[in-house]
Amino acid sequence: MNILSLLNSAPMYAICGGIIAFVAVVCAVFMVRAYRAGLAMGIDRVKLKRAITSSATFSLLPSVGILLGVIALSGSLGTPWPWLRLSVIGALHYETQVAQAAAEQVGMSSLSAAEMTPSGFATIALLMSVCIMWGMVLSIFFNKRYLGKLGGGRKGSGGTGFGDTAMTAMFIGLVSAYIGSYIGGFVSGGGLFSFSGSFMPLIVVVVSGLVMAGFIYLAEKKKLAWVESFSIAGSMLIGMAAAVVVKLFM
Amino acid sequence: MNNNYFESYNKRTHVIGRISSAIVLVMLVGAPFLIGKVLGAMPDIGAAGKAFLSVGLVWTVSSVVEFLVYTPMLGAGGGYLAFITGNLINMKIPCAVNARDIVGAKTGTPENEIVSTLSIATSSLVTIIVLALGVALLVPLQPVLQSPTLQPAFENVVPALFGAMAYKYFRGNMKIAAAPLIVMSILFILVPSLTGSTSFMIIPAGALAIGIAYKFYKKAGA
Repeated sequence: MNILSLLNSAPMYAICGGIIAFVAVVCAVFMVRAYRAGLAMGIDRVKLKRAITSSATFSLLPSVGILLGVIALSGSLGTPWPWLRLSVIGALHYETQVAQAAAEQVGMSSLSAAEMTPSGFATIALLMSVCIMWGMVLSIFFNKRYLGKLGGGRKGSGGTGFGDTAMTAMFIGLVSAYIGSYIGGFVSGGGLFSFSGSFMPLIVVVVSGLVMAGFIYLAEKKKLAWVESFSIAGSMLIGMAAAVVVKLFM
Repeated sequence: MNNNYFESYNKRTHVIGRISSAIVLVMLVGAPFLIGKVLGAMPDIGAAGKAFLSVGLVWTVSSVVEFLVYTPMLGAGGGYLAFITGNLINMKIPCAVNARDIVGAKTGTPENEIVSTLSIATSSLVTIIVLALGVALLVPLQPVLQSPTLQPAFENVVPALFGAMAYKYFRGNMKIAAAPLIVMSILFILVPSLTGSTSFMIIPAGALAIGIAYKFYKKAGA
C-alpha cells in the first residue's frame, strides 16, 4: 500500500471526520444559545436572522477558496488531514508554510507524496497542530479575564466610548496592509519600481470595491436593505469573475 | 435588556467555551499520535521540536497578537469559536465585522456579543459544510475547481474580499484610512519582500489607524 492510500484510508477519514463533527456540534450549540439569548434579551428576530444570513452568504466564496487549499495539499498529505486542518483551527496561508518547514526538518527536500513516510507525516501533522494552537490555549486561560478587564474599563467611561472606533480603525489598518501589499507587489514585485509585478489583485480590489459601491447605493438610496446581506458575496463574485475575464484577454 | 440574564449567559458561555476549546485542543494534539498508531510510526518529537523553533515561534507570537487584537472584536462566544475554527483574517474577522455593521451593533455591547457569536458560528458551519461536500465530491468537482480558466478567480479570493470591505470602511473614514494606506503602500513598494509577512504588517497598520482615530476622537470630545 503506498503512502497516499494510507493517508486516504478509512481510519484517517474516521479520525479527522470525528473531530470535525465534534467542532460542528460545538458551533451549533453556540449558535442556538446565542439565538435564544438574543430573543430573551429582546433583540429583534429580524436582526438575528440578518446576522445569520449575511454571515452564511459572506462565508460561501471564501470557503470554496479554502476547499482549493484542501485540494492543493491533498496531493502530498492525502485528503483527510488537510480537510481537518482547514475545517478546524487552520488558516489557508499558514498550513502550507508550516507543513513545508516540518517536511524539511524530517529530511524531505520538499513537501511531496514521493518522499513522504508514515513517521514524516505524523511529525508534520504534530507540528501543524502545535504551531497554531496558542490562540485556543490563550482563550482557555485568559479570554474571561481579558474581556472582564476591558468591560471594567468601559463601565467607568459609560457606553462603548472609543472601543467601537478603535475596532473599526484596526480593521481599516488590516485592509490597508493588504491593499498596500498589492500596490507594492505591482510596483516593485518584479524589481524595485519596475511596475512589472502582478496587477491582477489590484484590478480585483477595484472591481469588487465598485460593485460594493453599487450595493450600498441600492441599500441606502433605493431603500433595498435586503441586498446588504448579499453585498460582500456579490462584490467578491464579480471581482473574482473580473480576474477570469482579464486573464482571458491577456 | 435584562442584564442579569446576559451575565448568566456570558458566564455559561465561558464555561462551555473553555471546556470545548480544551477538548478540541486535546483532540488536535492527540490526532497525530493516533494517526501514528494507524500508520505504524509515531511522530519524531526531536524533528518537530527543531521545526517549531524555526517556524513555530513566529506563529506563537502571531497567535498572541491575534488573541489580544481580535478577542475584544469578537467577544466571549465569538472569540472561543474563532480560535477553535481558524481562518481568522481571511474570513471570521471580516465576517463578524460585516454582520455587526449590518445589524448595527456596537462593540462591547450584549447585542454585539450575540451577533458576533451567531456570525462566527454560522461562518464556521458554512465552511465545514462546504469542505465536507467538497471532499465528498472531490473527484467530480476537481476538474471544475482546478480548471485553468477559473484559477485567476480562486487565486484572488482575498483581494476580492478586501476590495469590497475597503469601500465599505474607507468611504466614511478616509481621514483615518489615508495614512495607513499610503504608509503601507510605500513600505511594500520599497521593501517588496514584506509581502510574505503581510499578516504581521497588520499590527503597525492597525496601530497607526488606531492612533489617528484616537486623535480625531479626542478632538471631537474637546
